[in-house]
Amino acid sequence: MAARISIGQVASSLRSAAQRFAFVLLVLGAFGIMVIGKADTVIVERIRSAVGDIITPVLNVLSRPVQTVNDLMADAQDLATLRTELTRLREENARLLAWQNVAQRLEAENKALRSFMNYQTGPQATFITARVVGDAGSAFVRSMLLSAGARDGVKSGQAVMTADGLAGRITEVGDGSARVLLITDINSRIPVLVERTRDRAILAGDNSRQPLLNFLPFGVQPQIGDRIVTSGHGGTYPAGLPVGVVSGIADNGTVRVEPLVDWSRLEFVRVVDFGISGVLPPLPAIPPPRRGAQP
Amino acid sequence: MNAFQRIDHLGRAAGPAAILLLLILLNAVPLRVPYLSTATPLLPLMAVFHFGLFRPIHLPNWLALAFGLLIDVISGGPLGVNGLVFLCVRYFVEANQRFLADKPFLFVWFGYALVSAGAVAATWALSALLMWRGIDPRPAVFQYLMSLAFYPMASWIIGRSHNGAVARGRPSSSRNARAG
Repeated sequence: MAARISIGQVASSLRSAAQRFAFVLLVLGAFGIMVIGKADTVIVERIRSAVGDIITPVLNVLSRPVQTVNDLMADAQDLATLRTELTRLREENARLLAWQNVAQRLEAENKALRSFMNYQTGPQATFITARVVGDAGSAFVRSMLLSAGARDGVKSGQAVMTADGLAGRITEVGDGSARVLLITDINSRIPVLVERTRDRAILAGDNSRQPLLNFLPFGVQPQIGDRIVTSGHGGTYPAGLPVGVVSGIADNGTVRVEPLVDWSRLEFVRVVDFGISGVLPPLPAIPPPRRGAQP
Repeated sequence: MNAFQRIDHLGRAAGPAAILLLLILLNAVPLRVPYLSTATPLLPLMAVFHFGLFRPIHLPNWLALAFGLLIDVISGGPLGVNGLVFLCVRYFVEANQRFLADKPFLFVWFGYALVSAGAVAATWALSALLMWRGIDPRPAVFQYLMSLAFYPMASWIIGRSHNGAVARGRPSSSRNARAG
């Protein structure tokens, strides 16, 4: 009996030791994955893109009921404010018609001046409309998954916009999916300028809803309500894309910017190709060494 | 064992993994609700805690690690953070099963509060370390509190969806089964 108990105890302790050993191995494996992920190898990018391609159709289906509920709630809100909204839109329409006349006159003037100056127009922007199917769902990352990928013409580095303004840029591209790094993410840095004063700055995300305006020239103090647009420096974005408005200036000089994008109504976005190569231009192809060639 | 029993057995065995996968996908669905979309409840973490406690045999350590890695890949965050956290939560909960099982639900809830506090703090610290940036911990604290408030409902639904009336902390048939 005693021998049986001791054998049982030994077997149990052996099993427990094996389980602990397996756990330690898995922990070491997780740390190894962290190191590999930090190294940002091509393999990790490929895995991310491949998983994105697999889950994007599933998320696309799952997000439909959520959208339907949101649409119903928005419809109910719209019905409640129908009359006031109609009056507001009529007034806005009258204002915009006046602006349309101004724009047409300026366009004709621009055209005439450009022909005098022999002005070369830049590359035309092309748009790809994509559905937002995935959210990061995390307190540490601000990113989105789109239902368009390389087969639709999406490329890494392209700007992602809504009708309101800049939302972010493409960082990973799969075959049928793409990831957008939002302008509010802690890793986002955008060269911008204050539209009124033309002072340059860097819009730095910090995962909050209102990114910071850093590296303003010494002595420059923007005002609340100032529009912030992309400066075009660095080559990531073209100049003049609307980004946000200055929303708060702290006593220590910290300037916060409220993005123009309405994050709660972000169902479709436009991935815009401005024909700009981005911060890092593609590396020139290195021809393979010829066999038998002398050094 | 006939064919139906086999299918039933297979369904029960695959249940935790299927539920966890569904919760991971649901967590990634954009809610488009102002302020809430950045602090959605940590549904997958609740499921790992729940199954680590009540169905550890059907959620082995390696599977918890794999699901954590899936979250890292989907969210676009540093790879391995959620993997390591899920693995540790799963291991810790099973190792302390005897303190949490057969206890009133309030006690289990308190256990979840402690474990998820450690998990969220570890996720925050590891993310900050790997990104090498000071990350504001307030959204994580808000997410933690949201999850804590949602836990009773989520635990009840997860328990019901897996044929286990375990939300009140009652013992279940395979709860004491251990897995490596």
